[in-house]
Amino acid sequence: MQFDPDAAFQIASAIAASGWILLLASPLMPIWSQRLSGQAIPLLLAAGYCALVLAYWSRGEGGFDSLDNVAALFRSRELLLAGWVHYLAFDLFVGAWEARTARREAIAFVLVIPCLILTFLFGPVGLLLFSAIRFARRSGKAIEVEGMKP
Amino acid sequence: MSVQGLAQSRPSSSRSGNWPDSISAMRADEPRFFGAGVLLVFMLVPITLAMAIDDRIFNGINVWDKPLKFEIALIVYLFTLAYFARWLPGGMLKSRRYRVFSWVVVSSVALEMIWIAGAAANGTGSHFNVSTPFMAAVYPLMGLLAVTLTSASLVYAIAIHRNRAAGLDPAFRLSLVLGLGMTFVLTVVVAGTMSGMPGHWVGGVPSDQGGMAGMGWARDGGDLRVAHFFATHCLHLVPLAGYVASRHLGSIAAMRSVVAAAIVVGSLVLFTYVQALLGMPFLPVIGGLNG
Repeated sequence: MQFDPDAAFQIASAIAASGWILLLASPLMPIWSQRLSGQAIPLLLAAGYCALVLAYWSRGEGGFDSLDNVAALFRSRELLLAGWVHYLAFDLFVGAWEARTARREAIAFVLVIPCLILTFLFGPVGLLLFSAIRFARRSGKAIEVEGMKP
Repeated sequence: MSVQGLAQSRPSSSRSGNWPDSISAMRADEPRFFGAGVLLVFMLVPITLAMAIDDRIFNGINVWDKPLKFEIALIVYLFTLAYFARWLPGGMLKSRRYRVFSWVVVSSVALEMIWIAGAAANGTGSHFNVSTPFMAAVYPLMGLLAVTLTSASLVYAIAIHRNRAAGLDPAFRLSLVLGLGMTFVLTVVVAGTMSGMPGHWVGGVPSDQGGMAGMGWARDGGDLRVAHFFATHCLHLVPLAGYVASRHLGSIAAMRSVVAAAIVVGSLVLFTYVQALLGMPFLPVIGGLNG
């Protein structure tokens, strides 16, 4: 059976989309949305990315060292798919972190929704907005990094 | 004292969580071998997925067939040693010298796996591959690492032989010592013979297509992988016989049975070794999966 990158794209996108829907419903199911959207789905996508790189990296051209080489890399449809799965996995992982952090810091979920939507559509923009909201809320207080005391 | 009784005589402090006792004991006794085994189990997922999406063929079959087989074999080996670690002297497991050795073994396993999977990712061979200066330079190094990781079975054989304090049934202990020792000696002999040849096939078509179901062994000529398989599995076959004998026979009969089992298994290795070198297939009647 021949590998079909287009079908794999559809499957990966559907899996990631279900992860985002779970995050939007996370106030109703805080634990399971984290288990699935924060761990299981990103790891499943990561395994798929890993398989794509193992199977197709050596056949690709280009590299990471210049924009032309990155463009050459993505001329391979399978590596283009790998790049997309990379986005899907990491964006969802960041989205789950936003939902988790907002819950711990008692940030109203209505503020988190636009961050999740922007992270889904434009990754770093959502992260910027979420960080801006956090900084605005705690301006004047000591900054605490996750897991570390200030 | 029965084998089972011994496994249960461990302090309960080494147990944890919801895991069955025997698995918790493996992790407590040999955390490096156990952890490396679990890591390899997780890595089965991307390797299997890669196999499903890769259309490249090497030696007539999917390029990922070989890394998958080696990964499964290394998982079985690491978990077996982690299980046997309960019969090593307690002080030895804690000693610095042993922990360094154990890390060297785990590192050898990791490098071997990276070499084999890396070659597959590049659509080429690992063992017997001297097609580029780099691969030709790496191949003997990997042979050295393979001997290093196999030497753990010899170290275990000697340590279990010396560990009278384990209170093991003498017949079962003898079976562990013989099985582990045979795994090292016979594997090194068979694999050493292979590495001195251009490949593991003797006569026949040098392809895995149409090989024996499940194992891929040649059905149209000799294949030294058969003897390698039985040599490496001595550490399972002989102790299995020792376990059964120690439970059901008197002490002298059990000892004799263990020696007999070791001779039978050793003969099987010798038989398959000579058979392959003569260019004869092992069990050609067992059909191929792919033609």
